[in-house]
Order: sequence, then C-alpha cells, then structure tokens
Amino acid sequence: MFKLLIKSVCSRLLPVSLVIITLMASMVLLLSIERIQKATEIGFNQSISGVDAIIGPRSSSLELVLYTVFHLGRPTNNITMKTIDDIKQRKDIEYLVPIALGDSHQGFRVIATEQDYFKYIKYSSGKSLYFSDGQAFNEISDAVIGADVAKKLNYQVGTKIHISHGSSQTVSKKHDDFSFEVTGVLEKTGTPIDQAVFVDLKGYELIHLGWQSGTKIFNLKQLDLSTLSQEELTPKTVTAAFVGLKSKLTLFRFAANVKKYPNEAISAVIPGIALSELWSMVGIVDQGFELLSWIIIVISLIAMVSLIISSIDNRKREMTIYRANGATPMYLSTLVVLEAVFIGLTAIIGAIVFVTLVTYLATEQLNLILGITPEFDWVSWNEAKVFAIILLAGILSSLVPAIIVFKKNLHHTLS
Amino acid sequence: MILTTKDLGYTYQNGETINFPNVALDVGKKVLIVGYSGSGKTTLLNLIAGALKVQQGEITLAEKNYSSLSSGQLDKIRADNIGYIFQTLNLIPFLSVMENIELGVRFSKNRRSNVSDLTQEIVRLLTSLGLSKKVLDTPVNRLSIGQQQRVAVARALLGQPALVLADEPTSALDKESAKNFLNELSTTFDTSKQALLMVSHDLSLAPYFDQVIDITNKNV
Repeated sequence: MFKLLIKSVCSRLLPVSLVIITLMASMVLLLSIERIQKATEIGFNQSISGVDAIIGPRSSSLELVLYTVFHLGRPTNNITMKTIDDIKQRKDIEYLVPIALGDSHQGFRVIATEQDYFKYIKYSSGKSLYFSDGQAFNEISDAVIGADVAKKLNYQVGTKIHISHGSSQTVSKKHDDFSFEVTGVLEKTGTPIDQAVFVDLKGYELIHLGWQSGTKIFNLKQLDLSTLSQEELTPKTVTAAFVGLKSKLTLFRFAANVKKYPNEAISAVIPGIALSELWSMVGIVDQGFELLSWIIIVISLIAMVSLIISSIDNRKREMTIYRANGATPMYLSTLVVLEAVFIGLTAIIGAIVFVTLVTYLATEQLNLILGITPEFDWVSWNEAKVFAIILLAGILSSLVPAIIVFKKNLHHTLS
Repeated sequence: MILTTKDLGYTYQNGETINFPNVALDVGKKVLIVGYSGSGKTTLLNLIAGALKVQQGEITLAEKNYSSLSSGQLDKIRADNIGYIFQTLNLIPFLSVMENIELGVRFSKNRRSNVSDLTQEIVRLLTSLGLSKKVLDTPVNRLSIGQQQRVAVARALLGQPALVLADEPTSALDKESAKNFLNELSTTFDTSKQALLMVSHDLSLAPYFDQVIDITNKNV
C-alpha cells in the first residue's frame, strides 16, 4: 500500500509539494516561536545572578530592571551618592555596586561602575564574569568591553574609544575631549553584558565635568586633569545599585526598609520577581504569535484536505482500477488517510530539520541580532506533543475525503 | 457453471427498464454479448462485476448468489474470481508495466496463490500476448494503445480468475489489430480453468466465441 501511495504522490508532485511546503512553513513558524520563547526565557532568567536587590529611584520595578539589567529604555531619575553610602553602611549588606547609565558607544550602552562589578555580578545561575583578554579597569581612562562589542567593532585591548553623550551617536554629542583605552574584553555570556561598554565611575564623572543639562560648556583639554581632586571625580548621583545580602532570609525586610528610607524616594527591586513579572507580560505577545501560528496551521490543514478532495476527482481512474481489481472501499479510504499522514509527517520532519539547522548554523547571528542563544535540540517533548496534535488533526480532517471515497460506488466511477 | 444469470432486469434513474437474457457460462467457454450502443451491455457487465446492485433476478458466480452477499463479500468475490478488461479505462499511468499487471493479484490472496513466481508468470503472459519482457519496467504511458491493451489483458488473466469480463476491449483498435488481439487472447486464455464474457457492438467478432448473445433481441 505504501509503495502505491508513494507512486501516486509522486505523480502529483507539484500540488502535493506545495501543500507540504505550506504546512511546513506554518510549523516552522510555530517551532521558531516556541524555540525563541524558550531561548528568551532562559536568557531572561540568566541575565543576572548573585544580585539580591536592585536599588533605584522609586518608580516601576519593571522599568528599573529593564534599564539596569537589559539596558533597555532610559532611566528617568537618579539617586544621590549619599543615599548609596548610607545604604552601604547597613550590616546585612555583603556588597553594593553602583552603576550610572546614560551614555553610549557606537550604539552600545555605557555602564559606569566600580571594579567590584566584575567580582560580584554573575550570570546564568552563578557563573562569574571572566576576561577573554586583559583585565578590569584600574585607571579612570580604562574601559572594559563585552564580547559582542569586541567582535562587532573589532576592538581589542589597547583600542582607544570615545563615548557619546546620551544614546545618540552624532558627532556633536561625543565626549571627544577624553578617550578611554580598552583594558579588558569579557568572555561571551549570552546576556546583555556582551553588548555593553564598562567604564570607571570616576572616568564617567570626569567626562561630564564640562557638561550642563546635556550641553558641553567647556572642553576638558582646557583643564589640567592632574589638579582635579578625588572628591571632584566622585559622582554626585548614580542610576542604580546592585546589592548582595549576607543572608537571603533578610531580603524582604531589606526591601521594605529601603522603601522607608527617609531622605530620598528610592525602592529595592527583587530581580527574580521583576523578571517573572516581565516574562508574564512578554508571554502575552508570545501567546498572540502562537495563536497566529495555530491559525496558519489550520489553514494549511484545510488546504491539505482541499487538495485531497480535489485530487479524488482527478484520481477517479486510479481508484476505479483499484476497485475493479478487488480493492475494498476501506483500502482506498486508508490510502487517502495515509496520504494525509504522509503529507503531515513530511512537513513535520522538514520543519524540524529546517529549524534545527537554522538554530545550529545561525546561533551566532541570532545572538547578535536578538541577543538570544537558542539551544541546539532536535525536538523537545513539548514540541513532540504539538506535532502529535497537528498530525492527529491532519488524520481527522482527512476522514472527510476518506468518507467520500468510501461512499463512492464502483459503478459511479466505471460509468 | 461458473456464472449464471436468471431473469436479470435493471431500472435506471430515468425509469427505463431493461430485461437481460439469461447467461450461463462454463469453464473454457467464451461468450460474446452484442448490442447497439445504449442497449445495456455495460450495465449487464457491471451487474455481473458486482459494481451495480442486483434489482431484479439472480446472479450466481462461483456458486455464490449475489443477493445473499454483503458488499464486503461481493468485493472479495470480485477480487478472487473476476479479471476485468476495460474499454478505455485501462492502466495506472504512473505505474510500470510490471506494477500494473501485479494489481491483478494484489487484492486477492486466492489469485496470488495461483502464481508461484510472479515475475515469471507476468513474463509468460506478456510473451504469449506478443510483448517483450523488456517492457516490464517501462511506465505504461510510454506504450502504444495496442500494447497497453495487452498489458490490461495480462492483468485480467494473472492469477487465473474464473471469469474474465471484457468491455469492448477492441473498440480502440483497427480491424487487423482487433483480430490479432483476439487471437492472442484466445491463446493466453486458460480453457481448463477460465471463462470469458465479452461485450461488443461488433458482431464480426463472433467467430472467436463459442456463443453469441444478442442483448437487444435476447437471441442466443
């Protein structure tokens, strides 16, 4: 029966191929969404580790996580260094790493921070940051770059860079009176850290000395930098601070206490909670895409059934010869159902091979473009269940043409 | 008797009724049913093949009365006992000569059991019908009409079904080819096991048959 099926399908190669391609394309879409969702979820959860709380100006916790962890959006307010110093005095704190955001380099976010950043900030369930080349900054003119920055801009240790004021890359907004030198390149992490440029907080403060309200007032070259005191280079405000606690048990009490800080409106966000909140929002969009894919699959299945029904008329001669030679109506109906199974299976296998190959071959590009690292996996249990549902739906819908064939009397086709 | 029909009649959807002459067919016999176009020849053949439901009268094939059989049993009777040669609806174009002929025994274990070596038997049938074994793997649509008709005959004869039904198999052939075709069919046909029932409008074919029945006048 299978041999007859294959020969029959081969005789209608073009229409059958078109249906297989349509069905395959819709499954590729579904599979891609599933894999991108999975990779994004993993990426989300791996973006930051070892940080118990993020302290920032009182605003939406989601907003704070977005610009401190994912480098998305713009901070609306800053917190004073005095507040940071006050909190640092708390006995339940193991470490506190302040960060200042706002500038960029060639489209990559600049994070002004302290050396401790590379010691305490971790990713992917506790992995430390390592340098593939060089080391962390020691001087105010030193800079550390993420792996993607190094690769995309072809930078290495020793490269001198200028950073731009704000996220704009226009020449007029460039801090072109002071250059930083790359002293370290971080190893790839698969997180937004790969796409960041790190500078010392003091260096960051220095390049903003000549600026007021986003406008350059004087050139740093007019100053004798050696005469500047440490106090002048100490930032007055920062965007946020990453905090590690000595005991996780004190986390909620710490967050509540920070909220009650009397001198400034600040809050402490627990990254895990904010991330799951963010993921549930992203999930809604994801569900929309998933629904769309299912609609496309239903349309493809209808196309498949239409093809089989229309082909029954074209295959009148073939069916009649089978019947006249003794084939039962059940045999012919089974042949029709098997054709649907064949089309469905071919589309499924094609979709799996296509998506897996794309995942394998384009992992680097996906990481650079979307910042995600899809796992190389032939088919997951979840995906297998989805495919089983599609195949079952295909079989069920093929029962329509199968019943048409079953009910067709031999004399209808002979005459 | 392999086949007997008794008082068969058939009423079409437009109300027209045809009453058919009785047919009794024994092993080794070849019967030609003649009649003008629209006289009901193909209807009679379809009734005997089990493609049409018997409305009036009786048909008995291989000692089985059709009226006592379910449609599934009728399918089996057809697969086991009838080889069908169509007028034009002959072969499946995407199958080779070998695969088309093989269809004759594909759906019947009984007919398959009559063939010990399938390829050898198919080659024997093809050779006796004047075709070379070189055509075995050729797609049938590359053959001439006459060659295709021979392949259709080989398929109908494979596995030695008790009854071979032929619906105007020579209508697409010229007189000389039709003559050759019937000669070959007579040679290949196993007179010790099989019977042939052919319908045609061409009375000139009568010399090749043991009995001729005129469906129009019910004359034998």
